[in-house]
Amino acid sequence: MVKVKVNNVEVEVPQEAYIIDAVEKAGFRVPLLCYLQGLFNEATCRVCVVKANGRVVPACRFPVQEGMNIVTSDDELEKMRKINFELLLATHNIHCWDCYRKSTCTLSTLSRELGVEGIPVCSECPLYGEECLVKQGIPCLGPLTVAGCDAECTRQSAPCIGCRGFTSSIDVWRNAIKYYRDNGISREHLESALSIFWVVIPVKLREIINEVYKQ
Amino acid sequence: MNSAMYDIVYGRRDLRVHVPLSSCTLAAGSREVYKAVEDFINRKGINAEVHRVGCTGLCYLDPWIMVAGRGLPAAIYVNVRHVDVEKILARYLNRDFTGAYALRFKEGNVDYGVPLLDEKPEWRNQVRWVSRNCGLVDPESIDEYIMTGGYEGLRKALRMKREEVIETVKKSGLRGRGGAGFPTWLKWKITYEQRSDEKYVICNGDEGDPGAFMNRLLAESDPHRVIEGLIIAGYAVGATKGYVFVRAEKPLMADRLEKAVIEARERGFLGENILGSGFSFDIEVYRSAGAFVCGEETALIAAIEGRARPRQRPPYPATSGLWGKPTVVNNVETLAHVATIFQFGVDEFTKYGTEKSKGTKMFCVTGAVKRTGVYEVPIGTTIKKLVYELAGGPVEGKKIKAVQVGGPSGGCIPSNLFDLELDYETLQSYGAIMGSGGLVVIDDSGCMVNVAKYFTDFTLAESCGKCLPCRVGMKIMNETLERIVNGEGREEDLEILRDLGVTVIKTSLCGLGGSAPNPVLSTLRYFENEYREHVENKKCPAKVCPKLVTYVINEEKCRGCGVCAKYCPVNAITGVPGKPFTIDSSKCIKCGSCLVNCPFGAVEKA
Repeated sequence: MVKVKVNNVEVEVPQEAYIIDAVEKAGFRVPLLCYLQGLFNEATCRVCVVKANGRVVPACRFPVQEGMNIVTSDDELEKMRKINFELLLATHNIHCWDCYRKSTCTLSTLSRELGVEGIPVCSECPLYGEECLVKQGIPCLGPLTVAGCDAECTRQSAPCIGCRGFTSSIDVWRNAIKYYRDNGISREHLESALSIFWVVIPVKLREIINEVYKQ
Repeated sequence: MNSAMYDIVYGRRDLRVHVPLSSCTLAAGSREVYKAVEDFINRKGINAEVHRVGCTGLCYLDPWIMVAGRGLPAAIYVNVRHVDVEKILARYLNRDFTGAYALRFKEGNVDYGVPLLDEKPEWRNQVRWVSRNCGLVDPESIDEYIMTGGYEGLRKALRMKREEVIETVKKSGLRGRGGAGFPTWLKWKITYEQRSDEKYVICNGDEGDPGAFMNRLLAESDPHRVIEGLIIAGYAVGATKGYVFVRAEKPLMADRLEKAVIEARERGFLGENILGSGFSFDIEVYRSAGAFVCGEETALIAAIEGRARPRQRPPYPATSGLWGKPTVVNNVETLAHVATIFQFGVDEFTKYGTEKSKGTKMFCVTGAVKRTGVYEVPIGTTIKKLVYELAGGPVEGKKIKAVQVGGPSGGCIPSNLFDLELDYETLQSYGAIMGSGGLVVIDDSGCMVNVAKYFTDFTLAESCGKCLPCRVGMKIMNETLERIVNGEGREEDLEILRDLGVTVIKTSLCGLGGSAPNPVLSTLRYFENEYREHVENKKCPAKVCPKLVTYVINEEKCRGCGVCAKYCPVNAITGVPGKPFTIDSSKCIKCGSCLVNCPFGAVEKA
């Protein structure tokens, strides 16, 4: 057994344990993504980074050492985690409206936790498949709106009106507008739903609408 | 000159002509020169021989030949074309040394009208310690290596205990020449202390940096030195098998190492019970497919096992490496240093270098200098000395702006910091790394943003894609740089580059990602004004980035010949013959063919 300090809490863990075991034993949490205990332990996503004796290391694959001083969260770590997570979102083809994972999706829960505004409300919406309001011809603004409200409105079958604002990713906008178009929502219909934002609709979004509806 | 050296230079016949046959000189045409020399000898029927040697590292002189006749000085002729061979040799035999570049050796105090090579700055300032045989001995002959004292070091090491061997290396203060500068003895000691039925030593010859070729030069010109070092390392840690990891795209290097292993085995330096010491060891030359990431030791080990991908350390290879057994991974140059230290003694080695890093290091100086080549200098030599005295400084009319040290993992050092000493710690504190020792010199016609983009292009292509920061982070950095180079840079881009760069360095899995943003961060640190010029004014100060350059015709120089209009692929140039032509910048695609083809130099970049 070795003694380590996690955020100044002293815990004792087996010699061959990884940092994550010590962190969990001390009652703290670090976000985990690629790690699956006993199955996958290659430390590829680098979201679980912590500081061990001042050095940035992945918690899931770094063995503990006697007297190790582990810090699970500070400004620098939060920033790095956020950047790495954003990199991951940037390569993820976000189609939450068509995705069955919904509430079981780690990516959406983590994005909420880390405060990354890349994932739309659809990730939290219980309506799936034919139930989707857009599929029923209603211009619900869920696909364009930042998640985090737990989809209060659509849970009661009312369309999302976008009160949380637009997501930050242009790729998501493009995918969403295509989704509206493919489900037969006319441009005028969509624009009237968006008119709630009046003039603050981003120029880029207008460009994308033009571009997608022209195709 | 001692008698062994005399034999090597003058041979047993009346005349010996040394022709270098290594990848670089072959590319410059030394095969034809070799044939021409053979032809000449056969035709004239003189008692002479052609001697195949390795390369000296003075690349700008390739292909060179050294002619040594009995009773005559050994003269070096440079940039030899095969058609000149006959003239050169005939003149030499008539004791006429005009046209010779330098004399390698002469006897007595006779003035031949040609300077000695030792008096030339590029040679005088070098300390040829590990590269002492390069360009002198036949790389495919074990006898010549033994004549120069080869395998003496191994004999000495085998007479010592293993702890004593490690202690000797510790006393020498030798640090890894592959880049990070980890003390060699410590690596050996950790491996030695592991209990395991099998241990391995691996020679890392996977040199992949653009602009670094000292390992190839060393292994092609003096392969036995590397093999000897590897056997000593194997003995010190108690290994059973050694691997030499070479890129398949350097076939000559692999061939020569393979030949050296076979010869060493024939002489009993490898195999069962080496030299009666009871120590058994063998070496296999492994040809890799050639990926930059294989320079990373865990990826290198994984490549031998099957698939080249790095893994998280610890456990370090010294405790769990190849096939899960304790493994030492050393660079080619480190092992050559080991052999040389055991041959000539620790005291000779520690004469050179700084307090923290002893000995010499080979540096490849390439780019915008007069004398490109490999120079071996003591660690702690200033960049200024290396670039200006050894490599001859910038080409006429140019000014050196920066030097990129350490390849795609290193950083740019601006010219006002050229008084820095080249050692591990100093370079690291200025945002570069020693790396394998490649120095790419950039003069004022180079754009630093473009240089940074070039290196991210490289690391992006070579990233294995296992961990997220390197796979995606480098892609985003590359795209951001591309935007800046194309004149679409935004104010926040510099901040993105900085934040992302630091994150990629700190959170990447292996050394590749951990150093890949260095070129960007160091150029941002020292040349932020160039970045700002690209982003804010959409101008490239060095006039390199094609999209930020406009071509204009200087009316005073233009004679109206119309050649430019003929070469313009989009008909953007119009005019009446005899009068100055003009370029329509709205049509111009900035291909630059007018600039290249104007016979009067009237087309200018603005």
